[in-house]
Amino acid sequence: MKRFALVVLCVGLLLSAAACKQEPVNKVIQMSTTTSVNDSGLMAYLQPVFEKDSGYTLEITSAGTGAAIEKGRTGDADILLVHSKSQEETFIGEGFDETRIPFMYNFFVIVGPGDDPAGVAGKATAAEAFQAIADSGSQFISRGDESGTHSKEKAIWASINVDPTGQAWYESTGSGMGATLTVADEKQAYTISDKATFLAHENSLSLLLEETDDMKNTYSVIAISPKRFADTNAAGAQAFIDWLKTDTARKMIAEFGVAEYGEALFFNMD
Amino acid sequence: MIALRDVVQQFGGRVVLEIPGLQFLPGRRYGLIGENGSGKTTLIRMLAGTSRPTSGIIEGLQGKKVGYLPQSPYAFSFSVLENVAMALDGRNDAKELAQKALVAVGMESLVEARGERLSGGEAQRMALARVLVRSYDVLLLDEPTSSTDVRSMDLIETTLKEYVEKTQCTLIFSTHSPAQALRLADEVLYLEKGRLVEQGPAQGLFHSPEDERTKAFLRHWSLNS
Amino acid sequence: MIKQVLELLFGADPELRQIIGVTLRMSVTSTLISALIGIPWGVAMGANQFKGKAILSRITNTLMGLPPVVAGLIVFLVLSRSGPLGKLSLLYSVPAMVIAQVVLISPIIAGMTANIVSLRAPSINETCAGIGINGWKRLWLTIKECRIPFVTSVLAGFGRSIAEVGAVQMVGGNIQFKTRVMTTAIMMQTNMGRFELAVALGIVLLIISFIVNSLVHRIQEQTLRDRTA
Repeated sequence: MKRFALVVLCVGLLLSAAACKQEPVNKVIQMSTTTSVNDSGLMAYLQPVFEKDSGYTLEITSAGTGAAIEKGRTGDADILLVHSKSQEETFIGEGFDETRIPFMYNFFVIVGPGDDPAGVAGKATAAEAFQAIADSGSQFISRGDESGTHSKEKAIWASINVDPTGQAWYESTGSGMGATLTVADEKQAYTISDKATFLAHENSLSLLLEETDDMKNTYSVIAISPKRFADTNAAGAQAFIDWLKTDTARKMIAEFGVAEYGEALFFNMD
Repeated sequence: MIALRDVVQQFGGRVVLEIPGLQFLPGRRYGLIGENGSGKTTLIRMLAGTSRPTSGIIEGLQGKKVGYLPQSPYAFSFSVLENVAMALDGRNDAKELAQKALVAVGMESLVEARGERLSGGEAQRMALARVLVRSYDVLLLDEPTSSTDVRSMDLIETTLKEYVEKTQCTLIFSTHSPAQALRLADEVLYLEKGRLVEQGPAQGLFHSPEDERTKAFLRHWSLNS
Repeated sequence: MIKQVLELLFGADPELRQIIGVTLRMSVTSTLISALIGIPWGVAMGANQFKGKAILSRITNTLMGLPPVVAGLIVFLVLSRSGPLGKLSLLYSVPAMVIAQVVLISPIIAGMTANIVSLRAPSINETCAGIGINGWKRLWLTIKECRIPFVTSVLAGFGRSIAEVGAVQMVGGNIQFKTRVMTTAIMMQTNMGRFELAVALGIVLLIISFIVNSLVHRIQEQTLRDRTA
């Protein structure tokens, strides 16, 4: 009796192993995104609905913008979701017929100590705010990690011809948004952040400036082309991109954060 | 006189030594014989003060100068001469006396050798010199020649006899060799499983042991020696 | 990439040197302080039998196994603005990193020291008792006998400290020019996808580790050879 049961078990295992081989592995989409996007909670919010609607499984990894994009180059991602236009354009310029598809945006915000010693609140542009911070020598914490946020920050410094590197009031953490906000909170200093991460982060900093033109942050998706990696899940990546255009997705993006913070954290592109 | 009364030594619930009554007279030489684990070392350590009996009293050691050579003496990482001289710390003639003691144990050629590089036998002889370099009222030696080679045995035993003669100390030593006990001791004590089985003048105990267990031990030893 | 790594290593890139400098400053300081705390602690545990020795041993072993991130978390909470020592504004500084490392490394040095001492102490204690040497003199002799193995435990502590990343990131913040050390810089560069600098730093770290470990090994071998000559 025992011997018979063992045989049945072995045959059963073999059959199911054979059956497994037949299922398409392409039901899994590997998405590489940034820590900011992950920290905002947006993906955790969209993922279950996308997976139910499409039947695909989304495996999301997050890293700094540079490393996130690098995964596209090493074949560790089928689709990228990032927000650094210059780095995206470099990527699609590598000759594999890829395109970047901007699909939503939000604004960076300047946050800092409640008493606002540099007088940032009320400035018309981020550039003016940064100038005030530099002039007053108020402490500013930078991510310093070549992320989308950091790129934006550098662009603003460049626009007022100020190089903060090495100045006593400027500190660069080389870390993600969350960690940088923690440091800024600890030191009661200024920093630039994406709004979603700031709102989700527990700290005692105040939101001092938002929604100026020079703080717009655009999010794009890039599907990795089979010309780059033959076995990339192009169908899956496209499925996600198509899903983003659906009413369901757009509505979800527009509503994200409203219940909790009283306002939308992301805006759909028209 | 050193006296033990109702002495019991227990380790973790096990009785390793039990001596209802025992006396050591001043100036006499006592040899402890018995198998490993018979309690010889336990008894010596209690007399040396490095171990306290679980119950019972040991009298007669207060105010006495007690010298003790443990079973595994430590060889410090300086010269052999300094290893011996450390027992005379502070005295001006420490090195001189250390030199003499080392000659007496046959180690004059190793005086400058490093303690940590000595062989087992050399380290033991050095440790013996370290103890003999001073005069004690009571001298306790735990298997003092266990690593000594045959060549040096005569010299060591002669040195010991001379020391005891000169200092008139009470000598209590343990040994694996009943023959050595016979050569060096006035009285021999046979221990078995933590109990004193028989005690008596050396010659008498060897030639006509009273207890069956003593007989068995000596027979076993003579067959194997 | 290899070419760039070599250029970084031999071109004496100023930022590379600066990071190595901060790392050494932090590690040497934490190792020394940990040794000052750990060696007496270990000697106390190894040299004698006393009441409560078993408990102290247990505590030391538990602390030896303290996960670095937990140590980092505790030090972070204590030093942060809202913590009991917040007024000192120590968070995100080299002293904060040193504190976290001392918490981690002293028990390790203590444990190793205790082992080293308890190997020799029984024999030393019996020998000294036999010739009338006691108390502080005996303790001092014991310490002198163990001085070379002590060096190996301190070196092991140093090796541990330059390799530490979790606690040091948490309480140091990896701030450029101030608290960025080799390990946190490697993490950061890897996160950014910039592998050349990470590899260069990794090589330096490996070389230092290798030197430290070789020294430890050589000393232990030499000691073994001395004892069995």
